[in-house]
Amino acid sequence: MSVGAIAAAPARTASPRNIGRAGLVMSALAWVITLPPFLVRTPVPSVILALAAMLCGAIAAVNDERRIGIGGFLLALLALALAFGNANSGVAHLKVVFTWSILVAAMLRYATPLLFAALGGIICERSGVINIALEGMMLMGAYFGIWGADVLHSWALGCLVAMVAGALMALAHAVFSIHLRANQVVSGTGINFLAVGITGYFFIAHYGNNGTPSDISQVPNVKLPLIQHVGFFGGAIGNTNLLTWIGLALVPVLSVFLFRTRWGLRLRAVGEKPRAADTVGLPVIPIRYAAVIASGMLAALGGAYLSVGFVGSFNQNMTDGRGFIALAAVIFGRWRPAGALIATLLFGFGSALADRLPTFSQSEATLFQALPYVLTLVAVAGVIGRSRGPASAGIPYVKE
Amino acid sequence: MADSSRPALELRGITKKFGSVVANDRVDFDVYPGEVHALLGENGAGKSTLMSVLYGLYTPDAGEIVVDGEPVVIDSPATAIRLGIGMVHQHFMLVPVMTVAENLVLGHEPVANAGLLDLKAARESVHDLSDRYGLAVDPDATIEDVTVGTQQRVEILRALYREARILVLDEPTAVLTAQEVQELVGVLNRLKQDGTAIVFISHKLNEVLRVADRITVLRLGKKIGTVPRQGATEQSLARMVVGRDVLLSVEKSTAKPRDPILAVEDLEVRDDRDLEAVNGMSLTVRGGEIVAIAGVDGNGQQELVEAIAGLRTPRAGRIIVGGRDITGKGVKAATAAGVAHIAEDRHRRGLVLPFTLAENLALREFRRPDISRGGWLRVKHMRQRALGLLREYDVRGGNCDSYASSLSGGNQQKVAIAREIASDPELLIAHQPTRGLDVGAIEFVHKRLIEERDKGRAILLVSLEYEEVRSLADRILVICGGQVMGEFPPDASEEELGMAMTGQVAAAATSSAAGAPA
Amino acid sequence: MSTLEEETKAEALAEEEATGASLTTPARLTAYARGAGGVLVPILTTLIAFVVGGLVVLLTGHNPFSTYKAIFEGTGLQWIFPWVTGASRTTAAYNLQQTLITTTPLILVGLAVAFAFRAGLFNIGGQGQFTVGGIAAVWVGSSFAGMSPVLHITFAIVAAGLAGAAWAGIAGILKATLGVNEVISTIMLNWIAIWGGVYLFGLGGPLQDPHQKSVPVSSTVVSSAKLPVFWGNAALQGLHIGLFIALAGVVVFWVILSRTRLGYEVRATGLNPDAASYAGINVAKNYFLAMAIAGTFAGVAAAMDILGWKFNLFTNDIQGSTVGFLGIAVALLGRNTAVGVVFAALLFGGLETGTSDRFLDPSVFDPNLASNLTWMIQGLIVLLVSTDLIALKILRSGRGVRVIFKRRAKREEATA
Repeated sequence: MSVGAIAAAPARTASPRNIGRAGLVMSALAWVITLPPFLVRTPVPSVILALAAMLCGAIAAVNDERRIGIGGFLLALLALALAFGNANSGVAHLKVVFTWSILVAAMLRYATPLLFAALGGIICERSGVINIALEGMMLMGAYFGIWGADVLHSWALGCLVAMVAGALMALAHAVFSIHLRANQVVSGTGINFLAVGITGYFFIAHYGNNGTPSDISQVPNVKLPLIQHVGFFGGAIGNTNLLTWIGLALVPVLSVFLFRTRWGLRLRAVGEKPRAADTVGLPVIPIRYAAVIASGMLAALGGAYLSVGFVGSFNQNMTDGRGFIALAAVIFGRWRPAGALIATLLFGFGSALADRLPTFSQSEATLFQALPYVLTLVAVAGVIGRSRGPASAGIPYVKE
Repeated sequence: MADSSRPALELRGITKKFGSVVANDRVDFDVYPGEVHALLGENGAGKSTLMSVLYGLYTPDAGEIVVDGEPVVIDSPATAIRLGIGMVHQHFMLVPVMTVAENLVLGHEPVANAGLLDLKAARESVHDLSDRYGLAVDPDATIEDVTVGTQQRVEILRALYREARILVLDEPTAVLTAQEVQELVGVLNRLKQDGTAIVFISHKLNEVLRVADRITVLRLGKKIGTVPRQGATEQSLARMVVGRDVLLSVEKSTAKPRDPILAVEDLEVRDDRDLEAVNGMSLTVRGGEIVAIAGVDGNGQQELVEAIAGLRTPRAGRIIVGGRDITGKGVKAATAAGVAHIAEDRHRRGLVLPFTLAENLALREFRRPDISRGGWLRVKHMRQRALGLLREYDVRGGNCDSYASSLSGGNQQKVAIAREIASDPELLIAHQPTRGLDVGAIEFVHKRLIEERDKGRAILLVSLEYEEVRSLADRILVICGGQVMGEFPPDASEEELGMAMTGQVAAAATSSAAGAPA
Repeated sequence: MSTLEEETKAEALAEEEATGASLTTPARLTAYARGAGGVLVPILTTLIAFVVGGLVVLLTGHNPFSTYKAIFEGTGLQWIFPWVTGASRTTAAYNLQQTLITTTPLILVGLAVAFAFRAGLFNIGGQGQFTVGGIAAVWVGSSFAGMSPVLHITFAIVAAGLAGAAWAGIAGILKATLGVNEVISTIMLNWIAIWGGVYLFGLGGPLQDPHQKSVPVSSTVVSSAKLPVFWGNAALQGLHIGLFIALAGVVVFWVILSRTRLGYEVRATGLNPDAASYAGINVAKNYFLAMAIAGTFAGVAAAMDILGWKFNLFTNDIQGSTVGFLGIAVALLGRNTAVGVVFAALLFGGLETGTSDRFLDPSVFDPNLASNLTWMIQGLIVLLVSTDLIALKILRSGRGVRVIFKRRAKREEATA
């Protein structure tokens, strides 16, 4: 065997892309080893890992894998900084912040509303309608969910009311986007404003300045009897809200729907090339309507989780931009349910960590709140490769 | 089995209007099982409109559709499919990111238990059908990765999967290579034997004569007549298609070529999907001559033009204009070297429709000091210059403050041409300069191109129209697969050119006679 | 058949065959503005929104007429009527000053959204650009005490403009180099700016006011950086000269777009990027420049607020501000034109002031309800502006527009 062949053999498995990926993994490791339970107290191993990661990133970058390479390089720098910070922090502090079971539970809490909205966003965008109005639909769900639960004395009916409200808002978006051929980003922005107005108006009109009563029926937590008190798992998932479990269950359900059923195939065809779908006899317009309305219901459920599920009250504009993060999760997750789950868990983890960081420093914890948005920006800019959305998203379909 | 004594499909008195434009005027058409009936006419004669009516995409304003003796109303493609009508569209109606199998079954998906999609059954359907009709395709290939010919096969297979008894093919050969056309003819023969009624839409005379049993000619939305293939000749059909004996021709003197202005050397250019589009092309255009690039659409014309105009960076080779190397240097450098470019699509590229005519006329040269100086736009100068050009080019229907969108197509094209010529170019690229224009406007464009030639400009004409190429060009370069197949004089026969366009180069290369290149 | 008919027919058939890019949003908006009677449609849109808002008021048991009357009186706009005299005139004058104070940044933020729109970009990031502009303005304005006022004010405004430009420029660069959708990137930049601001001025933050350690607020702008008041009492928050700066911004906006080469390139890029690059215009560069200029407008807008009447920045202000989002409605209602933006800004400035708890008589209508009514009206306006077809149906308009729509529809499905 010639020297060239030997050199070529590893080159096949070590494609620039894989080298870049390895860099990403090493970056993560550089940070993780300084955390509980590993708690490496010297930055040396992290430095070595981060340097190796940077090298991998650089190799990938010069070998035509610019996005993943540069991304890995930047991530390695970040990891290095964080690892230094950890190594110089008190072990006690680290253990308080990185109590994994609590972090995981909080991550799930933060991720749930995002997940519902992101799943809705996936359905909507897969059908070819851009849904920047997720925020407004969530907000509708948040208010009308708690209003329903209050008036009808049942969290389940409250969630139902939320979904109806979200569906109505989605219907408006659908009429404008599909029938009136509006610019979908503009109409979505209008929907968001409208939702702030409607929910705020009815909230004040109905509850005045006292806010929602404190005795409203809430979505219960699911107490897993076997593992509720078992260490990490007990803390992390032993006592989790019902809606969280529903959201998690929806991920495989939607995956199967989109990629393994005939209506999923049709939905995707409509979003990619509506003209083609039309010429094989598929009802393009009704499919898009159904998708937008379904997205409104899901997003509203995400909003309802905030009010009826978690906090038990409503305040004006309580979704606070979560719809936009969900939208980012849709893109981050490349329009796939599993991808969106990973993205929302990542964002949820960021928020959970930000919650616990004030142990170190109040003001830096604040700064940490910006991290999910920075990550999204970096992700959208293409660390994970240029993601390609449904080809016809945003283009109204005109039947002749 | 289909009753072959009764038409599978009859269209009676179909009329379709778009505003004041009558696209179909009381058109009758029928096709029998086991027959290929060609629908022949120029671009814009109303062929596609008629078939869109048949497929439920347009609702006719008057007329009747009869399938198997039963009058039917076709209000959507779904109805058409149910009636056994299958359509192979000119622009394929396939979802690019999905696989062959997924595209095949879309709308009629086999479902396994639990309601899940049965992709295995879909794949088997692909295999069955492709075996039966000799149309080999890989069911798991993604549409955007396969050739145009394969995509067409998928479209045909899809119609067969739906058990179409009436198959409509809309300009099916426009994008095919010679080999693929040959295969298509074989497939059509097999389908005929099975009793399928086939409507074959085309504007190519020789092709129709080769495939069809009967031929119906449309002109300006009206049916001119139906003739059997036996006894029909290209001449007789041409007369029906065009409506007169003499084909379009322009008076012109013989060229007086001067020094070479454009030299393209071993050019290699890739298309948007990073595939070889121009594959080692070399050509020269001298001042005072019109060199035409002729070929089947999609054989590298677009990429060649874009590379010369500075819109696309070549992979290899050189482009020299007036002694300056402008390879990959961008539009500004090309313009500076004296390249002007009449764009193929005036709506997409040639004009900014919501701009005024004055603004549009400045588009090529807005950096000139008399239009802008020190970053400031000299609006008054811009308008004055526009006024002069509009008068010179006889643009009607608007003044220099009208929006380009308010002009008719012919006048829009005049604006685009005026702008390009006004830049006083050494080399003028005319890419499909008469696409979608009426006869009067075509004549204007042709005359103007010849005038510019006589002023000593080098003109590179890229056209898909035989007649245009033959009446304007001083030399014809036929390209296929991104390569120059041979050079022909303007009086070369359609057969000769056609052969070369489909890559059959043997006979062609030797017939190169007039106007030897540098 | 006459030549004209032939040409029309040829055109129709060309449309039938047409392939190519769809018209961009500004192209649609331009066509729509021109054909449908530029002024009538926005007025109609506003009327519809107010009627729907009035219905909501009615349905929740209030009198829409007295509500709208009270809101109008809250704006002080009755000052222009000569028959308003005496004490009510004094009140009106004061209210109008406040309305114009609110209108000032809205004009500039509206220009920020409109300018990007003219380049074919949807700048949802006005809020973030406004935030970083405010941070820069308050930092410069509260530092460098003892500078001459003209210099100090100029310095602060320039700093705010540059900060806004840099912030928007990030989205511009990402769009120009990596093709990142500006809608997503500007939304993310909004949140990053907001949390960044909360960090800077929050408790323990690096720029928090050292004189009041327990309050999450910036230092206060020193007197040399405060904008002079020209109408009303400076101590009672009279109208500052920022209004003229905003109006100067309107002129700059118009001059850049209509009278400079840059503006020509930006408009060509926005209306047809393919044609622009065909003409040798660097589309990517124009995306960046258009965003940077847009960000400058938004940054200066924030400087007007900070140097004109706010003088410091609470973290609550940063999180609660909606000026940047209002700018979207302002730009869209104003048709992305210079003059349109002024009137739309006045409308929303009036609504904001007229529904605020300081100026709306709570015995007529709860200001908390009214501010949400504003959101609703704003949402309805944006929603109605998003579709050009409504306007088209209401006003059967000129041929050119209809041709464009037909063509657009055809083309879009050809590319679809």
